[in-house]
Formats: sequence, structure tokens, C-alpha cells
Amino acid sequence: MGKAQPSFTDEELVAGIRRGDDRALAHLYRLYLPMVIHLVMQNSGTEDEAKDIYQEGVMVFYEKVREGTLELSCQIKTYLYAVCRRLWLKRLAEKGRYGGRLDDHEPYLETGAEADLVEAEQRDQQFAVMSEALLRLGEPCRSLLEGFYLLDKSMQELTAEHGYTNADNAKNQKYKCLVRLKKLFFQQYKEEPLP
Amino acid sequence: MKTEADYYALFESYLSNELPAPARAELEQRLAADPVLASRLAEFRQLTGTLHAYGQRLHLSERLRALQAEIDAEQETTVETGRPEMPVLHISRTEQWLRDFWRGHRATMAVAAAVAVLAVFTTLLGMEWWKARQQPSVYGYATLRREVDRIKKNQRTMNQAITQIGARSGSEQPNLGKFSGTGFALTSDGYLVTSYHVIQGADSLLIESRDRQRYRAQPVFTDVAHDLAILRINDPRFSGFGRLPYAFKRRQADLGERVYTLGYPREDVVYGEGSLSARSGFEGDSGFYQISIPVNPGNSGGPVLDDRGNLIGVISGRQMDVQSAAFATKSSYLMRLVDSLSAAGTTPGYNVPRQNQLAGQSRPQQLRKLQDFVFVVKVFE
Repeated sequence: MGKAQPSFTDEELVAGIRRGDDRALAHLYRLYLPMVIHLVMQNSGTEDEAKDIYQEGVMVFYEKVREGTLELSCQIKTYLYAVCRRLWLKRLAEKGRYGGRLDDHEPYLETGAEADLVEAEQRDQQFAVMSEALLRLGEPCRSLLEGFYLLDKSMQELTAEHGYTNADNAKNQKYKCLVRLKKLFFQQYKEEPLP
Repeated sequence: MKTEADYYALFESYLSNELPAPARAELEQRLAADPVLASRLAEFRQLTGTLHAYGQRLHLSERLRALQAEIDAEQETTVETGRPEMPVLHISRTEQWLRDFWRGHRATMAVAAAVAVLAVFTTLLGMEWWKARQQPSVYGYATLRREVDRIKKNQRTMNQAITQIGARSGSEQPNLGKFSGTGFALTSDGYLVTSYHVIQGADSLLIESRDRQRYRAQPVFTDVAHDLAILRINDPRFSGFGRLPYAFKRRQADLGERVYTLGYPREDVVYGEGSLSARSGFEGDSGFYQISIPVNPGNSGGPVLDDRGNLIGVISGRQMDVQSAAFATKSSYLMRLVDSLSAAGTTPGYNVPRQNQLAGQSRPQQLRKLQDFVFVVKVFE
């Protein structure tokens, strides 16, 4: 990627990400990385920590956009700053080094970011449970389900890969595996209301 | 009886709209009637929904890591300036370290610098003030102007006595000068000589003669290097000194010559005598003589005369760690100064006396004539 990139407006970025445009995401990512690195390093963090935080922040933003539930009342920059700031505060609190105050260099506004973060946290938890359930599922169910749902492989590919005689067999196996996964998943994850 | 896996197959085709219309209608009917089936469908939807979302999350995470790796690869030689709209800057590792250090510690450094600057200026100002207070500008050298505060009491009693007598016109200032020194007449029309350090920092000057006559004066010229000051009386009541009995010596005086001075280290005029002990002053300064007259604060600016009544110098200071080593500015310098001032023509000219009336007279006779031309110089700051 060259340095002379087309500049997107906030609206174009959001529209691009919603369409699944990879360039929009890449552009967004580059745009505010230095800001977050600056924020974290200013507040006793390392560059690698900053990158972690930033990736998490972008993820929150990205998923909200993809879901179509983002209510952006400010610039993307401000939103991302708020999210990353919050995330970094949390990380600091976990490390036990939070002095109660961050050295802000951007205007910090109350955006919808706080609520979105709570949501994202729940989602993370859900994903953690899912990952755990998949691990405990065992082979070949795990690779079958991961192949189908996580890696977007077609049933034909999976049939060939796992040596089933035909796609229907593979499908039946998949459903059985899903039932097992369901048990494992809901064992740990019950309270969540239906989407 | 269908197994749960069979239901999942059914749900999957239902949710992906692959079910034929009759089967679809039937399922919807059952779902409405059977809450267990409905919750089973809900579970299925949540499960597959979460799986899909999880897949996307992993994909996104991968993508972001790839982006970061790409940026990191680009940045091996460049470092962001921290502002996205600025062009990236190519800087060395050391400079990067310095930048980081500065970023992290600039507040501390600013405070430290402020303290340092403050300390430096406080010290400088303090030293300046100390120097101004302690007159010896050179270590071991004390100038001899007198601080009047110590003897204020005496003076006040005397002032009282004066008012009792009632002889004065009352125009004198009741307050006393802060410092005092000695001065003597340079010409008969109102020019006087004293030491520069006596009038240093003066707001106003008052000349007081032996008979308590007081005149306002102002400095006309000062020579810091030779510690000389020329004053002029500018008082309407002043009518002239009369003829000056002594002459100014233009050449250097000889070593061992007997010299004496009159001055006002106290309220009364005090005579001191000694001899010329060296033809250079403190630390070899050739503008001064060293004389062995005991001098005290207040003697500064007093005349030094030789046996024949020639004025050879002006008392300036003494060396503190040496017994009775006083210093006097050479009269040759005073004359040179007067000549150059006359030549400059800014003033009407100095009628410096050339005839000496004291030669051959006994010392008390000389002093009787001399004492009317030696004055107290009072300095108000």
C-alpha cells in the first residue's frame, strides 16, 4: 500500500465497511493507529499493548457497523478514541497500575462507545464460551464445524476432506455434531435471552 | 420420532428458505403450537448465529493482524510522527529514543528547568544585592564612606543644639544622610572633589562645612576607575569659597614624603598624618598611592597634602588585612581629569588654584587655613 491513499470521509468509511470493502477497513486502520499508540504510550503502555488495544477497538467499531446498529453521534476518530481509552483504562486496572487519570490529548466526549463496549464484552464472553465448547467437542466434529462455519468451506469440500461417501452423510454428521456442540455451549451459556 | 439432528436439518433448510411451501406452513404451525419446538429452534439459531459471528470475528482479527504486520514492515525504517496528517519522518533509533524520553518526561524536565532558571537568577540577584550592600567591591579592600545610622543619635542631639542656638535659617533638611564622606574644594567658585564611591547611588547630596553651613550639590562628573567625583554646589545661598590656600600637584609625589589629611570620620574634622609608603595602590594599581595614615569610614574623599601644602591625592580606601594601609587617588589623575573636562568645554572651565599659600607654615597654621575648604558630603539614597 502506498502512502498516497485516497482519503475517505467518515460516511464513505462506514459505507465501505458495511459493504465489506477491505480497502475501507485498511484505510481506517491506518488512519487512527498513531493516535491510539500515542494515547497508550503517553499513559505508561508499550507500543505492542497499544496495537492490541487498537485492534480490539477497531473490532468493536467494525462489528457495530456490520451489524448496522452503529449510531455514530461524533467523528469516527472520537468514537475510536473513546473506545480505546476505555479499553486501556480497563487494561491498566487489570494490571493494577491505574492512577485514576489518563493523560488525554484528544477531546474526550461521552459517546455511545461505553454502551457499545458493554455489548462487545458480552459478545466476547459468548465467543470465549464457543471457543471452549469447540475445543471440548473433539475430532472430527470440531474440524467439520469449524470448516463449515468458521472457514466458510462448502459441504462438498468438507465431504472430500473428511472422507465421507457423500454430502448427505457429511450433512447428517454435521447436524449430530451441532447437537453435541449445543449441549456443550448451553451448559455454560444459559442465561442469555434469545436474539 | 425424529432425533434432534433431524430437527436441525429441518431448521437449517427452513432458515435458508429451502423448504417447500407446504412443509414450511406445517412447520410454522407446529412452532406456534409447540413451545418446546420453538425454543429448540431458537437455540439452533443462537448456536449457528454465534458460530457465524465467531467465524467472522476470527477472520477480522486475522485481517487486522495482517494489516498491522504490513504497517510494521513498512515502518522498519520509518516512524510515525504521532500525527496522522503529517508526513512520516525518517529518524534514527537514537532520535526515536530521545523522542520517547522527551514524550515521557517533558513535564518533569520543564519543572526542573524552571527551578534551575529560578535558582540561577535568585543567586545572581542575591549576589548583586550582597555586593551592593557590602561596599568592598574587591576582596580585602574597604572603601571608606561612613554609614550614618550608627551615629544618628549623636547627630540628633547636635541638631537639637543647633535649633536651640537658632542661628540657622531652617532650610536644612532634618533627616540625616544615609552615608557620609569627605570632600574638598577644587575651585573657589563651587566645584568640589570627593570619591566616587561616596556618592554612588545618591539621590541627593548635601555639603556641610565646618561652621554647619549646608549647601545642595550635584555630581558633575564621575570617574569610576580612579574613584573620583566632581561635584558642583548649586545653591542660591552659595557665594564662593574664597581663595583656595593649596595647590594641586601635577607630578607624582615622592616615596617617603610626609603627608596628612583632614576628614570627617566623626562629626568633627579629624586630622591624620603619615607618610607616602608606596607609589601604587591596591594590587599594584598605578592610579593610587599607598599612605600610612590611619583612616576610618568617613575619610573617603578627603584631601591628602604633603608638607608644603600641595594636594597630592584623594583618600579612597584601605586594605583590610594590613595595618594602616590606606589608598589615595593620585592628584595627577585628578588634574588630568580636570584638564580633559576643561578641554571638552562643556563647562565654563575650572579655575584650579596654582598658588600655594601653605608652604613654609607650621602644620597647625596650615590646618587652620585648610579646614574651611574641607567638607562633609552627605548622601541621601
